[in-house]
Amino acid sequence: MAGRPGTNPTTYSPSLKTQKTRSTIFKDQEIDWVRPDGRGFQQCRPAFFRTGAVTAASGSAYAEFGNTKVIVSVFGPRESKKAMMYSDIGRLNCNVSYTTFATPVRAQGSDRKEFSSMLHKALEGAIILETFPKTTVDVFALVLESGGSDLPVVISCASLALADAGILMYDLVTSVSLSCLGKNLVIDPILEEESYQDGSLMITCMPSRYEVTQLTITGEWSTPKINEGMQLCLDACSKLANIMRSCLKEATTSSQE
Amino acid sequence: MGLPDASGDLSSEMEVDAFRRLFPLRFYERHLAESIRPDGRPLGRARDTTIALGAVTSADGSALAKIGSTTMLAAVKMEVMTPSMESPDEGCIAIDFHMPPICSPIVRPGRPAEAAPVVSKQLSDTISSSGMINLKELSLVSGKAAWMAYLDIYCLDADGALFDAALLSAVAALFHLQIPAVSLNDDGKIVVSEEDGGKLEKEPVNKEKRKLTLRSIPFSLTCILHKNYILADPTSEEEAIMETLVTVVLDSSSQLISLYKPGGAVLAYTSAVQDCIALTRQRVRELQKILDEANSGMEVD
Repeated sequence: MAGRPGTNPTTYSPSLKTQKTRSTIFKDQEIDWVRPDGRGFQQCRPAFFRTGAVTAASGSAYAEFGNTKVIVSVFGPRESKKAMMYSDIGRLNCNVSYTTFATPVRAQGSDRKEFSSMLHKALEGAIILETFPKTTVDVFALVLESGGSDLPVVISCASLALADAGILMYDLVTSVSLSCLGKNLVIDPILEEESYQDGSLMITCMPSRYEVTQLTITGEWSTPKINEGMQLCLDACSKLANIMRSCLKEATTSSQE
Repeated sequence: MGLPDASGDLSSEMEVDAFRRLFPLRFYERHLAESIRPDGRPLGRARDTTIALGAVTSADGSALAKIGSTTMLAAVKMEVMTPSMESPDEGCIAIDFHMPPICSPIVRPGRPAEAAPVVSKQLSDTISSSGMINLKELSLVSGKAAWMAYLDIYCLDADGALFDAALLSAVAALFHLQIPAVSLNDDGKIVVSEEDGGKLEKEPVNKEKRKLTLRSIPFSLTCILHKNYILADPTSEEEAIMETLVTVVLDSSSQLISLYKPGGAVLAYTSAVQDCIALTRQRVRELQKILDEANSGMEVD
């Protein structure tokens, strides 16, 4: 690395910041948002799942929704740290981190503490912790590329990885998010849409049991809008669960061959 | 303890697994005596290798390399910096190797793996001493602006031979790298040129996307020395049991770039070193072919 100075040089990214001001888009209420990838407002991106991505882990899954690519590994149940007190139910430990090249502008690639705790809250209602007392199950997620709607993809992929690891759960956990752009509700937003959003709604649920494990709403929402948004998301969640189930079935039939 | 016989019923299969866990060294030596390894490979053969270019769209160049189960994802992102006084015509490359917690049960968040900074330093030394990249190609405006290429390599699955897979993915990512077309705007800053020709007040510094010219590409092979045996491309199980590693890095014209033997119980006599280099030479030909195929596959698209 010839010419490398002693201290790290400050660098900047040459990409244009084309932030069209929001007022020009939504000033005219009649103008609708056209989604850059040509989807309808209630259309999710095509989902691709693959289990068994990491051989070193007890269970793992890879998910790709458009440009959002995530790998989740599950380790365990394994011994809890020595400092931990005895517990007659199992422990769940979650960690979400991003690669340095996941975002359009290079970032430091750190752990996302808030995503880690949200992932924990989304999964702990679904896992039957009594089946692995005294031990810990570790769920580690790495976002390879962030194309919008990252946390829902991480949650869905994590529940698939847990199923691959054989951890007992009440049901698969799926998650979908929704953005509010002016008067439009747009499901499964991409990065650009998330940057223009007025509010967001993220639901994590167990589709077969019709139970919600986590609901996160930001922004200003009226009650009928919330109801409409929730219905759309729950619908999308059950369709996603079917895709995940067929992925698991494929994995087991191909391993039996 | 009685050694299991070769009958095929389930009771003797369980014994084999238990024997593998309890007496790993004896398990391996029984295989080495027959010149084979538990996964069926002959001693000098590396695992199946694949390269896929362009795995990450948000980066300027990326590649996914798999050697057996060991998976590495490398991506290059270009940013602009002011070059130093001593070399105003040269850019810079910053190479970093990460082992995230997903790759292996021994890595915990907040407690980085021991192997990560070692491999990181090895990689940056190898790439800079091979002379693969001409830093002058990374210059934009002499003395004012130059490219800083951040090459980040993430281990997605750790199953032995980490340095080999990391080097392969780094080289493939640099192959795939396309430097964006940029121009200098009035504030003296470099911005990405707009695709539709753009305004004429910006003076284009880099007219169109271009690739780097790479010379003398380094390829490597890690071998394990154990008694008289030399095992090429170890898995993590083999690395854990037999700890003496030798890594040889050759370039495409078979010139030696680096030889790395970090201690170990087995001494490397000249014959062992020569054998390792011969195995590496063979491996370089295989890897060159695989890289060329991956590259031509990309150009067809």
